[in-house]
Amino acid sequence: MSTYLQFAVIKFRNKMAYRFDYLLGILNTLLSFVVYWSIYKALYGGASEVDGVTFSMVTTNFIISLGLSSAFYKNEMFLQDKIKQGTIANELLKPVNFKLRMLFEDVGEGAFNVAFNFLPTVVIAAFFANLSAPSSVLNVLLCLVSVVLGYIVLWQISFIVQSWSFWLFNVWGLITIKNVFVNILAGAYIPMWFMPDWLRNVIRFTPFASIYFTPVQLYLGELQGWDILINFARQLLWIVILYVIGEFCWRRGIKKLVVQGG
Amino acid sequence: MKDIISLFFAYARTGLKTRFQYKLDSVISTFAVFFREAAGIIAMYLALLKFDTINNWNIDELLFLFSLIFITYGIFIVFFMALRDFSDWIKHGDFDRVMLRPRGLLTQLVLCGADWLAAFGHGTLGIILFIISANRVGIQWNFGMAVYYIVVVISGVLIQGAVFLFFSAISFYVVETNSLKEIFYWNMRKFAVYPLSIYNKFIQSILIFVVPFAFVNYFPAQFFLRKADMAAYPEWMMYISPIVGIVLYILAYAFWRFSLRYYKSTGN
Repeated sequence: MSTYLQFAVIKFRNKMAYRFDYLLGILNTLLSFVVYWSIYKALYGGASEVDGVTFSMVTTNFIISLGLSSAFYKNEMFLQDKIKQGTIANELLKPVNFKLRMLFEDVGEGAFNVAFNFLPTVVIAAFFANLSAPSSVLNVLLCLVSVVLGYIVLWQISFIVQSWSFWLFNVWGLITIKNVFVNILAGAYIPMWFMPDWLRNVIRFTPFASIYFTPVQLYLGELQGWDILINFARQLLWIVILYVIGEFCWRRGIKKLVVQGG
Repeated sequence: MKDIISLFFAYARTGLKTRFQYKLDSVISTFAVFFREAAGIIAMYLALLKFDTINNWNIDELLFLFSLIFITYGIFIVFFMALRDFSDWIKHGDFDRVMLRPRGLLTQLVLCGADWLAAFGHGTLGIILFIISANRVGIQWNFGMAVYYIVVVISGVLIQGAVFLFFSAISFYVVETNSLKEIFYWNMRKFAVYPLSIYNKFIQSILIFVVPFAFVNYFPAQFFLRKADMAAYPEWMMYISPIVGIVLYILAYAFWRFSLRYYKSTGN
């Protein structure tokens, strides 16, 4: 395990080298937040709540989703680059699990994003936006657990699409399309509360709801008793399903892999 | 002039050939750009199913507003891609090559490269939005209106072109300008997509006076739509997009000419 942690630590340190980049990162995240905040402020038009959802819940939803999308970092061209350059051959010879190594590099970069990008954004945003406090300490802990599970769900979706680069010339397009689905259906662009009922019912049967919205609901204390367990179970179920699919694609891909020259 | 046009087509032909070498990949990638840009619009559409309007703009009027930003970007990127990536040209010494050729520097840069993927992705999206919304927002289309629409599209292209021309000129002094572009173009564009009136005064001022995206889509759209939130701004702002475009472009061009003297090759 400590081997893999090293991958994360190295990635974290690498990122530290680019000072100006993280100022830029803060600004990017903050401005994205301001856009959403302004849109929903105008949509609410001074109303204190819409369908039982207060403006500060919406604001909190956006800040958590933005925070998670910077924390949930994934280098989505990683596998394709390794295959294109042929260096995947060396990677496979190393005595480390390729997927875990990939995951931990991403975790390292995600940790960096949280520390130097997300946290400063929250602090600045708290000055002008009315954010909801978590409903209890227990809720924060539950939220953190679901964040970890949500990340694993999202990361595996990304891995599956990346693994198609064994067969395709370029997966950039598919990754971009995948991200549109994630951003809309997981509630990063529009809070889940305001989606049409039919769409919410469809989303319930996809992995998307368990990425951002479950952590948001736990943080706000919207889930109680059994519902909490059901949501965790749903996250775990998707992790297993996606793992099986990912592993299938990966193994088929490795079998098919031909590295040209070196 | 004829010479320049044939040059443009020659560049376009090679550009398209390179880009569409891998057909399936280019089709998927173009669709991906289209879909990525449409994502914000889909989210807005879903939100308005619940809220009906945003500052009294309904969904059709918003689509009309969006159409301007996407159409102008689609055209802009055909002509100004080299300026968008100009710091790379300097970094890799490619600009030296341009200087040796028997045509105007800026002429070559404007003609030589187009980001066809973005052009098709953004352009198609803009045209679709325009077709959906044009007849549903109560505009009495006549010859004059159509001409003014074309004029504001050209102005929008010029305004964005001027912004990039300005950044390219800065590349002569400091090679690395990507962060500047990120802050002043891409981030401002995030704001510019939506009606100006939803933002606070500070952001509005930036979009009017610093990076004048407001004249790319909001004020021109107001000319056609006359929404109530226009009351917060002087009425003449609806009419001056062409002037803003031309003046800004001339200023940027003058600055570019001036800065050119300070160009030093990065060597190789």
